[in-house]
Amino acid sequence: MPEPLLEVKDLSVHFKTEDGLVKAVDGVSFSIMPGEALGVVGESGSGKSVTFLTVMGLTQTAKNAVVEGQILFQGEDLLKVPKEEMREFRGRRISMIFQDPMTSLHPLYKVGYQLSEAIRSHQKVSKSEAMEQSIEMLRRVGIPKPDERVRQYPHEFSGGMRQRAMIAMAISLNPDLLIADEPTTALDVTVQAQILDLIGRLKSEFNAAVVIITHDMGVVAEHCDNIQVMYAGRIAETGARDVIYYQSHHPYTWGLLDSIPRLSETDSHERLNPIKGLPPSLIFVPSGCSFHPRCPYAFDRCTAEVPLLLPSDGMHAAACHLPIADKERIFQERMLARS
Amino acid sequence: MSKRYSIVAFVAVLALVAAACGGDEETPSATGETPAATGQTGEVPTGGVLREETVDFGFTNAFDPTGEYLGTAWSYYGNLLMRGLVSYPWLPGDQGGNEPVADLATDTGQLSADGLTLTFTLKDGVMWQPPLDRPVTSQDVAWAFQRINTESLIAQYGNYYCGTIVGMDCSGKSQEDPIEGIETPDDSTIVFQLERPTGDFLFRLAQPAAAPVPPEVAGCFSEAGEYGRYVMSSGPYMLLGSDEMDVSSCNTLEPISGYDPDRFMYYTRNPNYDQATDDNRQNYVDGFAQVINTNVEDSFNRVLNGDIDMVHGAPPAAILQQYLTNPDLEDNFKAEQGDRTWYITMNLIVPPFDDIHVRKAVNLVVDKASLLQSTGGPTSGDVATTIEPPAVLPDTASYDPYATPNLAGDLDAAKAEMAQSAYDSDGDGVCDDPVCQDVLLVNRNYEPWTNYTPILQENLSAIGIELKIRELEIDTAYTTIQTMNNLVPIAINAGWGKDYASPYGFDFFLFNTAGLACEGLVNYAMVGLTEDLASECGDNVLDAYNAAVEANGPIPNVDEDMEACVTTPPGDAYNACWATLDQRLMEEIVPWVPYRWGSQNVAIGDSVVQWVYDQSAAWTAYSRVAVDNDLTIEDVAS
Amino acid sequence: MIRYIIRRLLWVLVTLLLVALITYTIFFVMPSTDPAVNFAGKQPTPELVARVRELFGLDKPFVVQYGQFVGRLFLGDDYGWPGLGFSFSTRSELKPVILDRLWVTAQLAIGAAILWLMIGIPIGILSALKPRSIFDRLAMGFALFGVSAPVFFIGPVLLYIFWYKLQLLPGTGYYPIEDGLSQWYLHMLLPWCVLALGFAAFYARMSRANLIETMGEDYIRTARAKGLSERRVVLKHGLRASLTPIVTMLGLDLGALLGGAIITETVFNLPGIGQYAVQSDFYAILDITLIAAFFITIANLIVDIVYAFLDPRVRYT
Repeated sequence: MPEPLLEVKDLSVHFKTEDGLVKAVDGVSFSIMPGEALGVVGESGSGKSVTFLTVMGLTQTAKNAVVEGQILFQGEDLLKVPKEEMREFRGRRISMIFQDPMTSLHPLYKVGYQLSEAIRSHQKVSKSEAMEQSIEMLRRVGIPKPDERVRQYPHEFSGGMRQRAMIAMAISLNPDLLIADEPTTALDVTVQAQILDLIGRLKSEFNAAVVIITHDMGVVAEHCDNIQVMYAGRIAETGARDVIYYQSHHPYTWGLLDSIPRLSETDSHERLNPIKGLPPSLIFVPSGCSFHPRCPYAFDRCTAEVPLLLPSDGMHAAACHLPIADKERIFQERMLARS
Repeated sequence: MSKRYSIVAFVAVLALVAAACGGDEETPSATGETPAATGQTGEVPTGGVLREETVDFGFTNAFDPTGEYLGTAWSYYGNLLMRGLVSYPWLPGDQGGNEPVADLATDTGQLSADGLTLTFTLKDGVMWQPPLDRPVTSQDVAWAFQRINTESLIAQYGNYYCGTIVGMDCSGKSQEDPIEGIETPDDSTIVFQLERPTGDFLFRLAQPAAAPVPPEVAGCFSEAGEYGRYVMSSGPYMLLGSDEMDVSSCNTLEPISGYDPDRFMYYTRNPNYDQATDDNRQNYVDGFAQVINTNVEDSFNRVLNGDIDMVHGAPPAAILQQYLTNPDLEDNFKAEQGDRTWYITMNLIVPPFDDIHVRKAVNLVVDKASLLQSTGGPTSGDVATTIEPPAVLPDTASYDPYATPNLAGDLDAAKAEMAQSAYDSDGDGVCDDPVCQDVLLVNRNYEPWTNYTPILQENLSAIGIELKIRELEIDTAYTTIQTMNNLVPIAINAGWGKDYASPYGFDFFLFNTAGLACEGLVNYAMVGLTEDLASECGDNVLDAYNAAVEANGPIPNVDEDMEACVTTPPGDAYNACWATLDQRLMEEIVPWVPYRWGSQNVAIGDSVVQWVYDQSAAWTAYSRVAVDNDLTIEDVAS
Repeated sequence: MIRYIIRRLLWVLVTLLLVALITYTIFFVMPSTDPAVNFAGKQPTPELVARVRELFGLDKPFVVQYGQFVGRLFLGDDYGWPGLGFSFSTRSELKPVILDRLWVTAQLAIGAAILWLMIGIPIGILSALKPRSIFDRLAMGFALFGVSAPVFFIGPVLLYIFWYKLQLLPGTGYYPIEDGLSQWYLHMLLPWCVLALGFAAFYARMSRANLIETMGEDYIRTARAKGLSERRVVLKHGLRASLTPIVTMLGLDLGALLGGAIITETVFNLPGIGQYAVQSDFYAILDITLIAAFFITIANLIVDIVYAFLDPRVRYT
């Protein structure tokens, strides 16, 4: 087995607020292999973004953050790395792109400048060389006339182009891990597919591992090798993509799958199927299984005992007290009801 | 027991001894002169610069002497720049400060028997400053009058000369036109022909407008105020930088560098001045600096800090307190007779004041002592008992036709007077006619005038007059009462200072029909108002006039009385004539309630070792002050 | 852009004409400021007043006077261009006086501006970077004081301390640079400080608020994610965005100050146009009002243009 690129062990990120301790991430462990494409799925507040912001070292700037656990990147614990050194990782070995490219790019600097800046902060190259590289990167992400575009401002780009530019910025230094936090949420549906394709292509061109964070299970269907479902700061289920889609073992995942809008041939008035209820407060997390208030299958053990993320079959693991046999039966029932 | 008494006695004796021995300190003296504070010889030091700051110059005619009316400008002219045929000795009133004396002339003139011709001989050796470098001639004196006579130069007190000197009517077209009634047979002789005998003519000649001006400079300026930046001196000092003027032609003249109307005015000695020709000026200091500082508290701080020597104008209330209460500052504060009367004026054609009994009742009921107290007490002046200030007409100094106990008003006497009025139908001494309700009184809107409001309201209410008091900004208050058809019944915003120390100069416009106009009137009481004038100023004025005449008889007129007094030859008879007029005004016409003869308050720094009060301009006698700073004007001038 | 500028300049003209009209009307209607009566002295006989009126051209109807005034202003008068007329009380040309005084006011305004920028903005930045720390609380406390304490209080207090008691500084008054650099500087020091105090406080609060808001923006997160040094993130990304509103404010503040820092000039006896406006007469006040209006409107225009250069998202048509 090759060494994992990223190993997160028992990571917890708590924020001290006036109202109480917000447990944004509460005991999360997973690993990513080099070149892997991982999809991280969950509702708002599930802790999916905070986890990876912490990997980047961006949550630690908040004064009220309490971070515990280990984040081993290529063997080094990033939580123990001093701040100055962490800068070396960010942008160079681990990159991140964000949800809204309009607000995520600086409105007052030209796009070329922003790209060159990223390059020059990690490499000793001249301005013109960095600009050359920037132009090349824009071409690689599929932006036409990149030499003109370099001299333009973000507000002169369309939404899709901006996201491409962000991606260009993120991969310009050939990182080993690219984290994409809701990369398509702010984009048109037609553009979404293009961006995801782009990410997929670049992943193989640059040989990087990619994490796609999203709340939309449809987004990760095509481009991810593995999927990790998070809920209320913990991992609910994790496994290979096909396994999650066709053999998932967690009621929350079932709810997510059900809620994907489908075009029905027979009944165009079919209603959407959301998961009932709301995500829980991260200060007053429900006892036992944090999903139990919304789970149609909860029983007494669920309120008392926190379910551990136990592997049921190789890579596939789920944090749920239901016996596996029950899970498979319920899943089949639901699949039939859907079709 | 006995021990305690003996201690007390001992201490008392000590105190008495101390009081007897220690009483040498100079109290603020009314003579206005502090002893020279130098060494054993008592000599007054010469040299140094008198540094004064002012909030603004406030010149009314941009310092052009032909029209300039500001009293302190007259101080500069008379003490420093101009030697008229006659001027003043620059002393307090009780030392003759209000009496004209010979200055440029050898004596106070030879008057013909019929009083119509006045001849002067000029002294030798009085020179114009450089670059003119020539003696002052009689033609220079005549030129001054030619300027007064020129319409475009707007001689603001031209009325003292036009109509008095033969050939002067103040509507001349050019200052080059000679005046028929002024002859200059040679350079040292000048003869005035008068239309009629004029008892106070010397006073008029002592005014700055009548002082000589050099035609080669003044003649270049034919619009009012223009000459003000080019004033040439015949006196002991000159404006700094004026000796560098190129006087070869009108086009080469440049404004004097030492006078910037918004910033400063610097004087230095006139090298051509001969002290031997001058008995009236001592000229101790080497230079004068008048600098504008808009922050008056800062100016007083500078005096205390020793940065400057004097501040122009009376100290504001808070600073006044310092000077009155701090024993170290006692000697630095001067309060002198200001030759100014503050008064309540009543309108002879507006009820209820059209009734003489009401006016007399007001004179009796007003608590003048309280008014003085609320103005600031004795440092602000004395209670006024008649129209003329005592230094202007000594004859009436102790004349008090409406005397009341402690000057605090006498309600019984007032009521007795009011009972005789038609507006008091039941004769109880309290007005019961509706005209006594809501009577408008114009006042100023700042202290101490606002302190008068409650006092007057209470006083007049006691005789049934309910006042509606309007406190206005100073300019607005004046304009309001100066506009005839406003028909303001009664006002207390006004004061009047002398032009010169003869009653004519004080009384004339106040009570003569010449002071009546539809706008800009000065005879606020309307003494001598005629039907013609009333109808010119509006129907309401005409109606009021007719009603007043119908109810009370013709409006009294003092024009003839004044004319008679004016033509009385100078001397005791002259003053006696005016005293009689004063009496007639106060007792038979009663246009005013005079309540205060104002003091001029000055705060000076320790560096002023000799300070003398000049009664004629009611300000500092610059030609007699001495300082002990060793500055030169070049040090001080920026 | 050019068309925009031209349009704005035309509006400046219209504004100035309107200001002139309103000011002229106010002075015309208020009786206490009638220069004729004031000039005619203590005993203004009707003949005297009439003569003064004629001398100053005040006997013509209002519209004619206003028209003459506007004509002189734009076409120049006897004294040059622009025709600023003469002062009734000093009978002297107003243009050189006003220009001299404008220079003094400019010195005061620009010196104070440099001072308040140098003090206010760094304090604001440091406070923003350490919110709710002791420094922040002290700084904002100082800001509250600075904004509340009026010039006519602080000025005399500082004068009393530094000039009167400690004798460290010379007092009020103005020394031109030609007369000595150190004298000029020492005399301007207190007025600069006093005038700058209120502005520094305001700018500190503004910079702090702007920077705090900017630092919460998404592109700051991106900048950090790129691995830029914190210093670069704050100075190049954070400051750049938060300072553009400050530039706008600076332009407007300077424009207003050039119309005269009246209180400061009066307290410190500086011969600027603010002091002149308070102590002078009709024509001078009219001229100064127009100059002040001119500076404010031009400042508005300049600021808008500069903003277009600072923020590429802004485009004028």
